[in-house]
Amino acid sequence: MNQQPSSRPVGMLVATLVGAVFASGLVAAWRIDWWGEQGNGLSPRFGYSLEAYRRVDPALVGYDEVDRVPVALREARTMAVGPEDRLYVAGDLCILCLSPSGNKLATIALEEEPQCVAVGGAGHAFPGRMYVGLKDRVEVYGPEGKRVAHWESQGPKALFTSIALAEHDVYVANARGRVVLRYDLQGKLLGQIDGRDPDKDLRGFIIPSPYFDLAMAPDGLLRVVNPGMHRIEAYTAEGHLEQKWGKATVGIEGFCGCCNPAHIALLDDGSVVTAEKGLPRVKVYSSEGQFVCVVAGPEMLCPTATITEETRTEHKMKVHDVAVDSQGRILVLDPSTQSVRVFQKKRQ
Amino acid sequence: MADQERQVDRRGFLNDTFRVAGAIGLVGLGGFVAGRRGRSDEMLWQLDPHKCIACGNCATYCVLDESAVRCLHNFEMCGYCELCTGYFEPEPPSLTSGAENQLCPTGAIQRRLIEEPYYEYTLVAELCIGCGKCVKGCSAFGNGSLYLQVCHDLCVNCNECSIAVACPSQAFRRVPADQPYLPKHREGTA
Repeated sequence: MNQQPSSRPVGMLVATLVGAVFASGLVAAWRIDWWGEQGNGLSPRFGYSLEAYRRVDPALVGYDEVDRVPVALREARTMAVGPEDRLYVAGDLCILCLSPSGNKLATIALEEEPQCVAVGGAGHAFPGRMYVGLKDRVEVYGPEGKRVAHWESQGPKALFTSIALAEHDVYVANARGRVVLRYDLQGKLLGQIDGRDPDKDLRGFIIPSPYFDLAMAPDGLLRVVNPGMHRIEAYTAEGHLEQKWGKATVGIEGFCGCCNPAHIALLDDGSVVTAEKGLPRVKVYSSEGQFVCVVAGPEMLCPTATITEETRTEHKMKVHDVAVDSQGRILVLDPSTQSVRVFQKKRQ
Repeated sequence: MADQERQVDRRGFLNDTFRVAGAIGLVGLGGFVAGRRGRSDEMLWQLDPHKCIACGNCATYCVLDESAVRCLHNFEMCGYCELCTGYFEPEPPSLTSGAENQLCPTGAIQRRLIEEPYYEYTLVAELCIGCGKCVKGCSAFGNGSLYLQVCHDLCVNCNECSIAVACPSQAFRRVPADQPYLPKHREGTA
């Protein structure tokens, strides 16, 4: 009789505790994110984002997009501008020749994927002649698209990534060999530039990824990108270094990532147009290396933010090639939109 | 009667011996074949580095306290950059191995000078938690030589892998035990 009143509260307490434990278990099981919908749960220091570097001050943008020329290629790799501002876009297994308005003028079929292309302008001995860089050799085509020569292969370890034309010389960037090859117009190898000079502490061209561009400047010096050093370098035909500039930074005034710029082009006054990969930015620098303005920033070239940090091959950010036409407009080959985007300088 | 049953002639003895030896041989052969067959049919979990988006779920969704997913490095694809974006923060104060410069929150990547300006980057498996931060940094600018894999000396091979369930890019799949890894391959690096 005395024990009954005291056993009821104990029983109720136990029942309440069991109920609470059961309810907590249910809540805990309910809160488990089995499908990863709430993210990885790691602290922010385990995250990686370039979002802060994607924004470009609008006051620094000196160009407007004025036109867009569609390119009917599955994978457009590179481009060049020829006489009368004709566009030569290399990709897939061909060179596509387009009028400035985008009309297809010709398609030159190739046996291998083109890596680079250059077309002789007014300053070249053969205006309109096309030099197509395959992986290890150069093929030469006449203005009408007929192959006139193919030069000797540089072997399986070569990877040609860019061609620049002087009046009587053809310069070819070999990314895998880390050298610039100098040919005459008949394809005879005259020499090579490796950028090395131990006396001046120059270690040559550092090329971590297969982007190694060059361009012939109006001052007669060859501009060569040294991507691993984040520099543009100017060389004489004999390979003497005359100028170097550029610095590594994600800031807008420099070149970002491990190795940039990926591509360059030159304006008539010697200014250098650069295109970076990773954080896609097209910018203009003076011939002395002073930052001038932005042509297009990441938000314009890569509107979907996550693409720059995407590891999937098929989603990965494409690299933009650049060229300049006779009106000083900057052309950007955008593989994402499969088009050549035309930028014109803003009127002050 | 008992003595007669115990007597075994030579022929009977040899017959019994051959029968027993044959039975043992057959059982052994069957076991050997079954064992081999079992090994080749065994399937393990692995993640395809070409589908992985380095979301970080591998670090927290594994049933183990420390995830069985770790970062590996394909040296063949690596550019040996001085400014490795898988090792350094996007804007490092300096290009040294100081903690403030390193991207990896656990300091799981070691940097060693090979020859100016080339550096070798090696993963310390014991420190890596499989968050994939370095994978993102490497892929954003570089050749994508850093990639995640399930380490089979750690993985307990659950029937249903909890990371695979939480993987937003369906990068996990079963692979044969005799080919347990899916190494990332070169795609035209210089």
